[in-house]
Amino acid sequence: MVSPAIALAFLPLLLTLIIRYRYFFVLFYRAVLIRMWKDCVTGLSREERAFQYVLTHATPGDPDSILDTFDVWCSKVEFISNIGPKKGKILDRLLMEHSPLTVLELGAHCGYSTVRIARSLPLGARLYSIEMDQRNAAIAEKVIRLAGFDDDTVELIVNPSDEVIPQLRSDYNLERLDFVFMDHWKKCYLPDLQMLEGSGLLGKGSIILADNVLFPGAPKFLRYIRKSGLYEWRIHRATLEYSKGIRDGMAELVYQGIK
Amino acid sequence: MVEKFFQDHERKMPRDSLITSENDSEQDAGLSLQEEHESKTHRTKRRDGDRQKKKRRNERRKGGTRAGEGEEDLQAVSEKRERSKRKRAKSKQETSRRENNEEEEAQLTGGKGTKARKDIRNEKTRRMEKEEVREVEENVDKGKKKQGSTKKGEKKEDGGKQLVKGKAREVKKKKHKKAETSSEPETSEEDDDEEEDNDKDVVRLECLSPEELEKLKEAVDERKKLIQSLRGKPWAMKKKLVTLRESQEFVEKYEGALGKGKGRKLYAYKVLMTKKWMKFQRDFENFKTACIPWEMKIKEIESHFGSSVASYFLFLRWMYGINMILFGLTFGLVMVPEALMGRPYGSMPRKTVPRAEEASAMDFAVLWDFGGYAQYSVLFYGYYNNQRTVGWLKFRMPLSYFLVGVGTVAYSYMVVIRTMARNANESGVGDDNSFNFSWKMFTSWDYLIGNAETADNKFASITTSFKEAILEEQESHKDDNIHLTRFLRVLANFLVLCCLAGSGYLIYFVVRRSQKFALDGLENHTWWERNEVNMVMSLLGMFCPMLFDVISTLENYHPRVALQWQLGRIFALFLGNLYTFIIALMDEINLKRKEEKIVKFNITTWEASLYNGTVSENSTASPVTIHPADVPRGPCWETMVGQEFVRLIISDTMTTYITLLIGDFLRAVLVRFLNYCWCWDLEAGFPSYSEFDVSGNVLGLIFNQGMIWMGSFYAPCLPALNVIRLHVSMYLQCWAVMCCNVPQERVFKASGSNNFYMAMLLVILFLSTLPAIYTIVSIPPSFDCGPFRLAIYYLQSTSKSYREANVELKKKLQMQNEENKRKNKRAALKAQMDLEEARMTAQEQQRNNNASVQDQENDTDIHGSGQRPYQEKYGCNPPPPVGGRGRQMPSSRDPGSRTYNRGNHGPSGYLPGFARQSEPRMYRVPSLQRH
Repeated sequence: MVSPAIALAFLPLLLTLIIRYRYFFVLFYRAVLIRMWKDCVTGLSREERAFQYVLTHATPGDPDSILDTFDVWCSKVEFISNIGPKKGKILDRLLMEHSPLTVLELGAHCGYSTVRIARSLPLGARLYSIEMDQRNAAIAEKVIRLAGFDDDTVELIVNPSDEVIPQLRSDYNLERLDFVFMDHWKKCYLPDLQMLEGSGLLGKGSIILADNVLFPGAPKFLRYIRKSGLYEWRIHRATLEYSKGIRDGMAELVYQGIK
Repeated sequence: MVEKFFQDHERKMPRDSLITSENDSEQDAGLSLQEEHESKTHRTKRRDGDRQKKKRRNERRKGGTRAGEGEEDLQAVSEKRERSKRKRAKSKQETSRRENNEEEEAQLTGGKGTKARKDIRNEKTRRMEKEEVREVEENVDKGKKKQGSTKKGEKKEDGGKQLVKGKAREVKKKKHKKAETSSEPETSEEDDDEEEDNDKDVVRLECLSPEELEKLKEAVDERKKLIQSLRGKPWAMKKKLVTLRESQEFVEKYEGALGKGKGRKLYAYKVLMTKKWMKFQRDFENFKTACIPWEMKIKEIESHFGSSVASYFLFLRWMYGINMILFGLTFGLVMVPEALMGRPYGSMPRKTVPRAEEASAMDFAVLWDFGGYAQYSVLFYGYYNNQRTVGWLKFRMPLSYFLVGVGTVAYSYMVVIRTMARNANESGVGDDNSFNFSWKMFTSWDYLIGNAETADNKFASITTSFKEAILEEQESHKDDNIHLTRFLRVLANFLVLCCLAGSGYLIYFVVRRSQKFALDGLENHTWWERNEVNMVMSLLGMFCPMLFDVISTLENYHPRVALQWQLGRIFALFLGNLYTFIIALMDEINLKRKEEKIVKFNITTWEASLYNGTVSENSTASPVTIHPADVPRGPCWETMVGQEFVRLIISDTMTTYITLLIGDFLRAVLVRFLNYCWCWDLEAGFPSYSEFDVSGNVLGLIFNQGMIWMGSFYAPCLPALNVIRLHVSMYLQCWAVMCCNVPQERVFKASGSNNFYMAMLLVILFLSTLPAIYTIVSIPPSFDCGPFRLAIYYLQSTSKSYREANVELKKKLQMQNEENKRKNKRAALKAQMDLEEARMTAQEQQRNNNASVQDQENDTDIHGSGQRPYQEKYGCNPPPPVGGRGRQMPSSRDPGSRTYNRGNHGPSGYLPGFARQSEPRMYRVPSLQRH
């Protein structure tokens, strides 16, 4: 029988762990517990609840207002891992600097990042957004239309990314992708990147931006880009969306081609 | 191009030749491509040409391979060479500077060529003069060609020169060919130009004439100057590097050949030796570095983790050195003499495991607790006994023990203070607050970093620190944030204080409980309860710093300042723990002393019973032998204290190692291998790898040392244990750091922290010597164990009382003697007066009486003179030893012999101090019996 005094000596450890990893506990509470609770209570999916909120609170046809409403919902009400306002600024800046004409988005989720990208695209540019999940895609479609982007600007493809990417050249007559934004399953980052390399859609100067490379993290992806030498790359350090204490990063890759 | 080359060459040449041509032979001058000689006469020229040709032919014949080669061919070849050289030169002519170099080089090679040719020619001519008769025919044969060649030479100066040069080159080539056994096909010559040049350079270094040497020296000097001034040149780095490399190669190659005439070889030898010496010195430096223990390991760690982590390892190594010396002192002067020369195990009760413990004395659990055989060994205070000297060396054990105890502490003080003083000289860094940006700008990079990841971290940290500094600067103008920071800092300190108080109370509580357990008897409690104090102290010492660390993020200090705060807080925590422990120990000491009193009383009764028993059994004086294991003994609080310290050290070490293995290694393994099948990135995210905890480790080390200082008086084995611990932890931690830890997020330099460690060490040294001195001075030592046992004091006091008694006895003896004399005198007078006729007989009787007194009382007739030897005999008598009581007892009861002695005394009359006087006699009696 361990004496109570010894058990009491573990109290500092417990406190330390709680304080040090408080953001993770908060995240766990918001992203998992609240979600389960609300799912049970409302019978709607998380994305549908978010869409309802946006529909009631945002100005239709105004992308900024829609994004702001999403941010408010995600930080105050529930948690959805969108790209968030802070990392979104990096994305905006990159798009402004390079003004790409053909953009591929992997993982539209509920349309937040799609609206964000479409908002800063130049005239005549086209965004292909890939979403695997049917229900999410439906919501994303609604959100995109709500923001006022039509089929010419944004094309939503409802299919897993590993099926779509090899077909891009033949089905959509794409020659080259100027900008690729990855925000889907972290495990798919590496295979999809390799698939993009293999398809020949990447040209010199094509930019690939991958979100959440540190948390939840895509270690294999990072290891690959470090080794492969096809890219000039850097990691933009930031914090996880809607959370202050969890470090995260976005990897920006510039395709250099085989020298 | 070629012309230009030679003109350049010539323009430079005369100066040299004017200086040196006197030393040379005429032929040499004639062929060394100089204008004056060229313009002299055609005769000379022709003669030279002759010679040249002869020589060449000779050469050809000797070589035997190219006998059929024509003049034109050779010239063509030479021209090709020129062209290739020009090409090379052109390719290198990127800048004017480089061109200069190139020219010099060309000049040099040319000069060398001439030189070589000359040498060969001289040799040839000599040989030719001998063999002239045989050579005549061939001379005639070659006549035409010779003439042609000379004509060509006369046509135009340049052309002639070119020709001569060409010849020279050809000869050069020939020689080279010869050296290469002439197996090479001719076509490959051009391709091999470059290599040939190099080869030639090497070949001809030995045979340079003074003038070329002069030039060479000049060129080398110029190169040297170039190398020196290269840093200041406004060139591109790439070009600088190329020039530097070329120049260094050049200097290296030709420097050895400098020096004049006879001295050249010596010089070359000297240069060679200097180089060898330099190499040796470098190797020796490497060797010295390799000899410094763990130097390479620490450097590697430094390159990976920055100097703050390395400072811990340096500190560890320093500690190891100190402990080695402490260990040497205690081991060499206390433990080894006692083990070799002291009374062996089992010779006396203090050195024997008591009968009750004998069964379990060799159990591992008991030994692990330093009970059983470990307790009754040289490891602890109680084993040493109070013999004045030990062994055939007459080694004064107690004195040595005491001096070593004092010496270790004194030495530690000396070393710590000296190191502090030395460090204080070194660290003259200004304050961190002024010139903030300049400091950041110019000094933030840690040049010892050799790892890409660390460099990345450092880079990031510098950037963030810049950002933070800028923000701070902006915010310093606002007031509200300052207040917030202050509030947070106060809050953090408050929390830390709460934590300290809590941990202090917990330890106090545990110690009180353990005393209760001790009163109940430890056997009734579980292992957890018995080791509660140590466990709680170790756990608190491990976890509280973590909590402090978390709390300190509130304060938002610079990491260096934060480290010092952290060190201070952990210091307070450890100090609290340590002093609680000491207070608990004091209580225990008091308990033991109470026990000791009871035991002492019991021992006397036990001895008395033993005595009675033996008396009742047999009345003869046979010594009673009892096995030392059965003899009752006191609790010996000193050994207990030593044991406590040793146990504390052991449990502390174990905690450290287990923490290391679980907290670092296991975590690293899990993070590494679970990462393949986990839903988030374990390495970059939640558990991650651990960072090296500098402050905790440093303080652990310091307090560990404090305990060593405190306990080593009572347990001489402590320095030895500590040396082992430090040794193991050096390897273990080096390995763990490199294997399981990641560089700190904010890598920072630990510039001034070394003296901070030292200051803490000094404080701990002081604080740990205080209780040690207090216990030594104020608490009387146990009566039956250790080199300073209480028996000494007893003996001293008893011997004092003996001496007093002695003095009294002397006085009484004196008085008695005087009385005797007076009596004798009176009796004599009476006899004189009463019986005139009986005088003779009476005098005879008195003389007899006196003689008997002299025998017995060592001449008591003479005043006082007989008393000194007696007194000395008293002083020499050893006080009765504790263990030897059994032997003493029979001597006290020896009525027969005593009465016999007293019977002789009869006529001397009444002795008032008789009872006391009998005591010294009892020593005499056995000796009489022995006779």
